[in-house]
Order: sequence, then structure tokens, then C-alpha cells
Amino acid sequence: MVRYLITRLGQALIVVVLVTVIAFLILHLLPGGAARATLGKEATLEQLAAFNHDMGYDRPWIQQYGMYVQRLLHGDLGYSYQLNQSVVEAISQRLPKTMVLSLLSTLLAIVLAIPLGVIQAVRRNRWPDYAITSLSLLAYATPIFFMGLMMIILFSQVWPILPPEAPQGFTVAEVLADPAGLILPTVTLAIVTIAVYSRYVRSAMVDNLNENYVRTARSKGLSERRVVLRHTLRNGLFPVITLLGMYLPALFSGALVVESLFNFPGMGQLFWQAALKRDFPILLGVTVIISIATVVGALVADLLYAAVDPRVRLRGSTS
Amino acid sequence: MSESTVRKSSAGQPAAVQPLLELRDLDTDIALRRGTVHALDGVSLEVMPGETLGVVGESGSGKTMTALSIMGLLPPGGRVSGGQILFEGRDLRSLPADEVRRTRGVRMGMVFQDPLTSLNPTMRIGVQVAEPLRVHERVGRAEARDRAIEILRRVGMPRPERIVDNYPHELSGGMRQRVAIAMALVCSPRLLIADEPTTALDVTTQRQILELIDDLREEFGMAVILVTHDLGVIAGRADRVAVMYAGRVVETAATEQLFRSPRHRYTEALLEALPESAIRESGAHARLYSIPGLPPDLSRPLTGCRFAPRCRHVTDECRTTDVTLSTGEHQHACLHPVPAAPAAPVTLPAPVRVEPAPEPAATTAKAGQPAATPVLSVRELVKNYAAHGGGLLRRTAGQVSAVAGVSFEVGPGETFGLVGESGCGKSTVGRLAVGLERPTAGQIMLDGVDIASLTGRERRRMHRQVQLMFQDSYAAMNPRMRVDAILAEPLEIQKVGDGTARRARIATLLDQVGLSRRVLERYPHEFSGGQLQRIGLARSLALQPRLIVGDEPVSALDVSIQAQVLNLMRDLQRELGLAYVFISHDLSVVDYMADRIGVMYLGKLVEVGPARDVVRAARHPYTQALIDAVPSITPNATAARDGVTIRGELPSAVNPPTGCRFRTRCPLAQEICETEPPLAGDGHQVACHFPLRPESSEASARAGAAA
Repeated sequence: MVRYLITRLGQALIVVVLVTVIAFLILHLLPGGAARATLGKEATLEQLAAFNHDMGYDRPWIQQYGMYVQRLLHGDLGYSYQLNQSVVEAISQRLPKTMVLSLLSTLLAIVLAIPLGVIQAVRRNRWPDYAITSLSLLAYATPIFFMGLMMIILFSQVWPILPPEAPQGFTVAEVLADPAGLILPTVTLAIVTIAVYSRYVRSAMVDNLNENYVRTARSKGLSERRVVLRHTLRNGLFPVITLLGMYLPALFSGALVVESLFNFPGMGQLFWQAALKRDFPILLGVTVIISIATVVGALVADLLYAAVDPRVRLRGSTS
Repeated sequence: MSESTVRKSSAGQPAAVQPLLELRDLDTDIALRRGTVHALDGVSLEVMPGETLGVVGESGSGKTMTALSIMGLLPPGGRVSGGQILFEGRDLRSLPADEVRRTRGVRMGMVFQDPLTSLNPTMRIGVQVAEPLRVHERVGRAEARDRAIEILRRVGMPRPERIVDNYPHELSGGMRQRVAIAMALVCSPRLLIADEPTTALDVTTQRQILELIDDLREEFGMAVILVTHDLGVIAGRADRVAVMYAGRVVETAATEQLFRSPRHRYTEALLEALPESAIRESGAHARLYSIPGLPPDLSRPLTGCRFAPRCRHVTDECRTTDVTLSTGEHQHACLHPVPAAPAAPVTLPAPVRVEPAPEPAATTAKAGQPAATPVLSVRELVKNYAAHGGGLLRRTAGQVSAVAGVSFEVGPGETFGLVGESGCGKSTVGRLAVGLERPTAGQIMLDGVDIASLTGRERRRMHRQVQLMFQDSYAAMNPRMRVDAILAEPLEIQKVGDGTARRARIATLLDQVGLSRRVLERYPHEFSGGQLQRIGLARSLALQPRLIVGDEPVSALDVSIQAQVLNLMRDLQRELGLAYVFISHDLSVVDYMADRIGVMYLGKLVEVGPARDVVRAARHPYTQALIDAVPSITPNATAARDGVTIRGELPSAVNPPTGCRFRTRCPLAQEICETEPPLAGDGHQVACHFPLRPESSEASARAGAAA
């Protein structure tokens, strides 16, 4: 188990290093450059050259990358001149807020999607299944910005019960102090997730209900309820674990569209604005954070698998 | 109630005891998208307390549907549409659902075919076994666990107090089937339904499980319904037998009566189609009786006897008259039954093992022909696979010794049978012989040429000589290719002839395997198992090989279809001078097909010799155990055997036992067995320090003459 973890963490490190190299290269090969973006159109060539020299942008890229990694290891993700704050600071302001939104919507999605998927599987090819399938497809096919707009129109214009804008608080506590503002962005995010998750749960449950072990369970004279909940559900939830693992990076990156739509000052918005302004330090910093989250998410999913499925052995030690 | 009363059917008087279970005119339909299949049509059966009723039939006969109807476990779309299921005098169809569920959970138990998939993979053994107690008897957690341990001990599970905390994947197939049996018995049911309980297991394990069910039946005083396709299993275990065909019971009688004197023409034909019968009847390798055609489509309305289209004795009357079961002890639904055998007790044919081996057959002489170069010669063949243990670093943790120094030869036109249980390496030998895998060490010679000495192109040409025939031909064909493309592919790959020549060749192939030209435009899924095996055989023949390696070629087929394919393989051998390596776990089939037999155990060849010598006068204890475990249609033959019984499980091939690999399970093992015995002998070789019998003088003389 320990050896397995060490092995996986080693692999994770390699992936993260590769991601930083690629991100670094792409960003520095882009035309325009950071100097022009930072100093504006009026800057003279001398000013640009001086800026590049100060920042080390005139050195060979391999050297620049070396410097970048060195700073990275000291927890320094760089400094954003456009925001006039360090990248670490910029991210640490927004990340907790994004996580609040993502966690809430994921929880909501799981709580609703699992029962929906189970109902569909148990009543498959009958009206509850068809109804939920149709709604899922509708939700899945609707662009999220359109869904968000419809939500705003419906619940804050036509029937004004909720604010159209997400909480603007600076800290997590302030954000949570305005729960009404969180409802629309959370629900908007959750709807698509529910559609996806319930499909996975449905098909996994349908497969499992046709397995021989379920027939064995029925032969013991168990009630249908017990057959579904005690025997089938656990095995039917394995795909959700994979989905959750894949969802972890989204927890960090934030939902770009929804954050913009509801004007929520989270990671998604930060990344989007940095991309528009060529704010390289922010872009790189966010990319590194997300790549770490992706790798960790895959690892967490594997560990969860081992925890719930006894057939999965995490080899690498004598356990 | 005297539960253990067994109805003595030969006594000719009805027993005073009420039947435990009675099916009256049971109809079961299964609604599918393309129509409704009438899976059962008026099935009537009785099971007396304490009795074992064998239900036997081929696939689609309705035997499993009968079991599932009783248990209320029909697949989606299935429902019992008529008749009564009387259990302990009450009709399960008219009881409230809760009551029925309780009855099925407590008073009945069921064991299914595939132990590998029949247990919940993520639930501990103890929890699964004790679940009926917890649900139906409201037993507490601790007591449930104790009772789970107790019942596991009674089904012969070693170390049950540890096993309860294990998960199913940690147990072997045989052990899992014991768990399934324990689970079915935990509430002490009156009736156990076992649906093909040993079909997925090896013969030696099968024997252990069948004996366990027999013992438990007496111990619990319960009745057993044993559903199987295997007539041998039924003959050895059942008190009475019901033969099913196309959703109906066609004959029912006491076991001995039925096998001694079958009345229905279908039963008669089925028994004749067994390789065992052919060997016993004529001594030599006679042609098998094969039932032509296929069972009827049960989604169509049927009139008359359902076996009529395939029957030798059919008359017009059969096609129009609906025959019902006759009354009495021996019931049959046949207008032209086999004449009844004399009432006097007939001496049963002696069990196969006791038979002498008198046959100086032409086949064995052929095998020993000195001049001919062997088509295939394998010397000291070794194949190891790396066993990975190091997680994602994939460090090699050891080696799986799949084949460990196997040598044999196959002469032109000869059939070499390779038998052994799963995991013994017989399939690996086959794959090595056809060049699908490369050996770790050792030599493979085709027609006297060492294939290791050949380069890519020559090697490919050489491999034309050897072709493979698969167990599951459907899986071995591209489902998106038509039969014409499937048959043309080997010719295209080897660049044989032009389009016209290839078409002509394909037409010849179809004639050879007895298929019409119309099959060419169809896809694999449109064919039955027997037809697919014919197409598979045709494909193997396309390049005119001299040797075909058949890996369990008839194991997935019903008896009647199996006979068709075996006959075809024989005919082609005679016409084309083919040699076969016939790999199978089924000793009776190998016995029928092979001139010489090699017995494998855990990667080693433990015995090689002429087929009749190996089967009738086995020299290795393992071979004898294997032979003793094979169920025979001679009633009680299995019970009468007192030969070698092996216990326990196959050791891991990662660290196989040193010396003789069988010594860990061998009743005769002594210290010397820690050194490896060589394969010794002239014509009938054995690798054993304590062979059961010396080589028969005939065998060595034959070998001497050949040398």
C-alpha cells in the first residue's frame, strides 16, 4: 500500500513536471509577449527591452524555465503586474470561493443523481425511466450559459425570488453569508452534472441487476428493495467514483461560464481574465494547480476503488 | 413426515407419501422483442421428499426454465402463464407474494451453474451465507456468523472461521460452489434445486461437489432437483429422471429403468449419440449416431411430437397428433416407443474401468508406423509467463510455469488427444504448436523441420501445415464479416490462387463440412453452435493443412450436435489424411477420438500411450483419478468405483511443487517423489515412481515392433 502510494506519487510528479514544461513553452511561444501586454501600447522598444531584461524574458527559455521551477519549489508562483499581486495571493483569494460553489453543486448532483439512476434501472423501459431519460438528455444538450440565463430570467425576473448575481463577498465567510445568491449558480452547475451522473448510475445498475449474483440474492427470498440496496447499489456506484476523480480538477479550476455569468469572483473568472490580458504568471500558476489536482484526482479515485471493491488490490507491498 | 423416504419406483406401487413438489401442466412464456417464446408447455413433474429427481435435456429444452419457474426467478419478460406449482400442498402461484418469497427463501434453495459469477463480489462470504438467516429468521449478527461458519464446515470448507471473512474472488471455483451450496442450505430447506451445479468445474472437482450434494441430501433429509445436460451426472446421482425436449417432458422413469430401457425415441437417440456408447457398443471407434437437424423454434406454434422432424421412426401420425405422457411408473410421450426391455433384472454392462483392453486396433498400429516422419514433433517444450507483482512498476514477481518440458509426436493421420484439467497447460501446448506463441525453450518440428530455424516468410508458409480450431467459433470469427470473407481470408493472407480459384476452393470446403452454398452470404450470428463449428473447421481446412489442433472443439455443443461434429472430423481425417491434436477436458470424448492420449498435470505430461491402454489401464495415479471422476451413463458406475480419489486443489503454477508436481495431492506420494520421475516406458509411458501397473506386455511389444 505504502509502496503503491510512493510509486503513484512519483508518476504524478512526472506528469506535473511535463505539464509545466508544455504550458511554459506554449505561453512563451505565443506572439505579443508579456512585456507589451503589461506595459501597454505606448511603451517604447527600450522600455520593452528593459522589462524583458528585468523579468529574465531575454534569456534562453531553458534558463527561464529553470528559474521558474526554482521559484515554484519555494512556493512562489510569480507576480502578476496586471493584478498587482502575487499569483499565490490571487489564487488563494479565489480558490476557496470556487471550491464552495463546486462542492455544493457536486453534492447536490450526487444526492439527486444516484436515486434517479437507481429508479431508472429498477423501472427500466417503463415510464419513469423514459421521463428521466428525456429530462437528462434535455439538460445535457442545453448549453450551460443558456441554462443559466433561463434560470436568471425565471427566478429573478419573471418570479423574482432569487438574486441574479452570485455573492460578491471577499472571503468564504462573506460568500456563505449570502446563501440565496449561491442557489442559482449551484443549481445551474448541478443540472448538467446530474444528467451525466444519473446516466452512469443507470447503466451500471442495469448491468449489475442482470448479473448472476443478483439472481442468487433473489433466490434467497430477499425483498426487491434489499436486492437493489444491499446487493446491487454498491457495485453500481463504481463508475461514480471515476467520475468524482475526474471532477476534482473542476473543483479547482472553477466553472468558467457559470462564474462569468453570475459574476462570481472565482478561479474560472481569474483564468479567463488572465487569458484575455496575457497575464502569463497567473495562467501558468492556475495550470500547475489544475494539473496537480487532476493527477491527485486520479489517485484518489484509485484509492477509493480499492476501498470499496475488494477485488482491486493495490499491489506494491506484502499487504 | 418421513423426509428420507425414497420412492422405490421399481416396486410398481405409488408411495404413500405426498409429493413435496408437484408441477401440474406448467406453461412458461418469455416475451422477447421478436415475439413470445413458449419455453415450457404443459410440464408436469413430481418430486418426493428425500428424492433426487434428475432433469436432463439439451440447451433450449426448458430444463433451466423449469427450475427458474419453481423459484420465481424467470428472466425479464418471463412469466408462468398456466398450471400449478404445488409445494408442500400449496400452490405457489396463488399465495401472496411475501409468503412465496419466504417459502422460496427458507423451504427451497438453489445452486446455480457458474460459481464465479453467482456470488456478490463485494460482500464477505459469511455475510452472504448468513443473509437468509438474518432476513427470514431475524437472527442476530454474531449468531448468524457462527451459523455461517457451521454450515461452511458442513459443506467441507477448510478453515471456515477464516473463509467467512474472505471475498469470493479469493476462492477457487470449486470452493465458491461450496459456498453457494452452503448459502442454499443455511435455512435447512426441504428442496434443493441444483442447475448445472458442476458444468463449470473440472471433473475431479465435479465429483467432490456431486458427492457433497448426495451426502447433504441424506443429512438434511431434503429432496434434490438436479438439472443438467450431462447424462452421466444424472445416471450416477438421480433416483428418477425426467427427460425434456423443446419445452416438454418426453419421458420420466426411475434412473436405472430409463438408462437400461429408454422408451422415447429422443432418449434413445441421445444415449446413442454419446461417445461412451459408441465405445461400449462396438468396442472399436465406431461412428456415432448423430441426431440430424436442430430443435424447433419455440416461438412458433407447434403441432404433434416436437421431436418428429429429427426422428428416425417418424410417421405421419407423429406430425399431427399431440402425444401426452403415458401413465404408470415409466412414462413416455411417444407413439412408436422403443419396445420395453424384459422385466427381469438385466445385468448392467460392467463399468468402463473394468473392461479389458483387448484391442490390437489398426489405429494404434498406424500410430506406431516407423517410417513416417511425424507431422508434429515437440521436444522438451517449455513456456513460462512472467507473473507481475509490483503494482504499476510491473516488477516481475515470479514465473508461471505453464508448460514444463513436454515432448510428444503426432504421426500423419493420427489423432493425439491431450487431456487435463483447467490450468494444466494443454491449451498453451496447442497455441505453441500452431505458432501463436513462442516457446521459452524446447523444439517444435513440423514435418521434421525445426520451425525455430526458419525465417519469417518460410515460417509463415510452414504454418499453413498446422491450423487451429477453437471452442467458441463465434468468438473466433469477426462478426462483421460474411462467411465467404471468413473462409477466403486465410487464402488471401497466404496469397493462394486468384479470385476464381479461391471461390472454387471455398465451394469444396463447404461440401466437405456439409454446408450449403447459401451460408456464404450470411453472418456468424445467424448460425447455431454446430454450424459455427463446421464453418470453423472449414476455415481451418482452407489451406489444406496436415494437422489441425482442436482446442476443446466440441465442449460448447449439445450431445446430439457434438456427435455430428465428431463424425465430421473423423470423416475428414479419413478423406484428407489429417492428423489432429485433440485438446479436451472431456476424457470420454478424447477416448473416442484419439489414437494416443497424453495426460497433462500442471504443465507436465504425466502419461502418454495408446488411447485404450491409457483409459482402460491407467498407470499414473492422476490419470486414474481423472478416469474415476468421469461420470458414466452406466447407473451407479461412479459410485461403484473405489479407485484413486484426489482431494484438495490444484497448486499454483507460480511456484509449482518440486519433483513430481502431483505429489502434493497424490495418495501414493513418498519421499522419493521429491525427485522428478522421468517419462518412462516403451509404448505406454508414465512419469511416476509408483506406477499403478506395469506396462502391459502388448503395449511394449507393439512399441518394440514399431521401433
